Amino acid sequence: MIQLIHVTKYYDRRPALSDVTLEIEKGEFVLLMGPSGAGKSTLLRLLIGAERPDDGQIFVQGRNVTKLTPSEVPYLRRRIGVVFQDFRLLPKKTVFGNVALPLVVQGASGSEIKRKVTEALRAVGVEHKKDQWPATLSTGEQQRVCIARAIVNGPIILLADEPTGNLDPELTNEIIELFKLINARGTTVVVATHDPQVMAQVNRRVVTLVQGTLLVEPRVAV
Amino acid sequence: MRRLFYLLREAYGNVRVNRAITVVAIVTTAFTFACVGVFLLLYLNLRSLAASLQNDIKAGVYVQDDLSAGALAELEQRLKGDSAVAALTYVSKEQALRDFQLQFPSDSQLLQGLGLNPLPASFVVTLAPQFRSPDSVNRWAERVKGMDGVSQVEYSRDWIDMLAAIVRYIELAAIGVGLILSTASVTIIANTIRLTLYARRDELAILRLIGATRAFLHVPYLLEGALLGALGSALSLGILWIAFEWFSRQIHMTHKLQVVHPLLRFFPVQVCAILVLVGVGLGCAGSYVSLIRFGEGRE
Repeated sequence: MIQLIHVTKYYDRRPALSDVTLEIEKGEFVLLMGPSGAGKSTLLRLLIGAERPDDGQIFVQGRNVTKLTPSEVPYLRRRIGVVFQDFRLLPKKTVFGNVALPLVVQGASGSEIKRKVTEALRAVGVEHKKDQWPATLSTGEQQRVCIARAIVNGPIILLADEPTGNLDPELTNEIIELFKLINARGTTVVVATHDPQVMAQVNRRVVTLVQGTLLVEPRVAV
Repeated sequence: MRRLFYLLREAYGNVRVNRAITVVAIVTTAFTFACVGVFLLLYLNLRSLAASLQNDIKAGVYVQDDLSAGALAELEQRLKGDSAVAALTYVSKEQALRDFQLQFPSDSQLLQGLGLNPLPASFVVTLAPQFRSPDSVNRWAERVKGMDGVSQVEYSRDWIDMLAAIVRYIELAAIGVGLILSTASVTIIANTIRLTLYARRDELAILRLIGATRAFLHVPYLLEGALLGALGSALSLGILWIAFEWFSRQIHMTHKLQVVHPLLRFFPVQVCAILVLVGVGLGCAGSYVSLIRFGEGRE
């Protein structure tokens, strides 16, 4: 599903990722662990084509992300859901409007949007909040809405960048359970975190990054 | 269809977000367009005035005194067959004398003192419209001068040259001022759009991350620019029309320029429509410049 082959990325001549080789299978749940500045966010940004590596190749579902033209990048992103630590909900749109955005962008019909948004909100447990504004929601609810937006168009991959960074331990548990549920439905989930509580709770494959270097054995045949 | 509604709603939302700035941009753009419009209006009116005056341009083809009746008839036929000649009137020596006496009664005694009629016979030629430019008139006069029996060709060359030069200068000024002020309009609209882009930068970032194409991101801003340009252009036409009507009334009241008054015309509807479309184009250009500067031109 995801392959990184000898990927290196520099920022101002300092390596954010150094020779990273990694393979994630379809349906896997992977925790990307590491301290702040280890390169976790950079790796996620590379996967959605927001950055280009200085060296190496990245494949997502068989397509070489590093070779995509700018006009092809949006279509890659439509197959990947992204969850952010700061939720990034639009304050001037209701919960429904925020979750509907990926479908509007793709040109879905009104009935399809209504059906899928309702399903997504139900899956994360905030269906009753659909007409509310993000500012009126608790942090846990905002993160659930963010997850609903990420899964509304049925992505093949869900990437989460420090999704529990702003949440207390109880809410962290709830969100991790939600990711497990999404993963159980067949979506490949990659969660970048430095939170040991998440690692303890997930009990799945852990990939550790330290100063841009991967601390696990590469499994890709190169 | 839903996506179109979304984009239109976003464009309207953009205008609403920066209502005061939008109004300032429309008014500023309108006055900028109006400045260009003044030159354009002046150019169009002077051109139509020049065209109307050129209709009166006539050339005199003077005939040699000793020309036989047969040669005169042959010359007349040659002139009539000339594509540059729209109309032709023969003025005999006697007629020329009578005309002179009518026009200059006080000087007619001078001619009587000479004992014989010194005025030559001539053909008064009205040139066809396509041969009224200074170059064409020059070429035609040179050609006719070479014809047998022609002693001289006269026409109001200075007047034609001056009129053509004035129209040309106004045309150049309209183009120059138009280019400079169009750039100013693009800059004004670009800065307005830039403020909207800045206010909505987070939204743009999110839309990019969830797979919005460049067209999806850009269309609301291009629509906003087009709207600003169209409204600015329409308002400028309103300002110009009011100013034109006032000026026209002043001319009417000034008795010295009564001849010019019926020739004054505001832009025809088609030209107004074109000017609004130009406004739309400049508005879109302003938006595009802003999107590029804001980094929206690249991923």
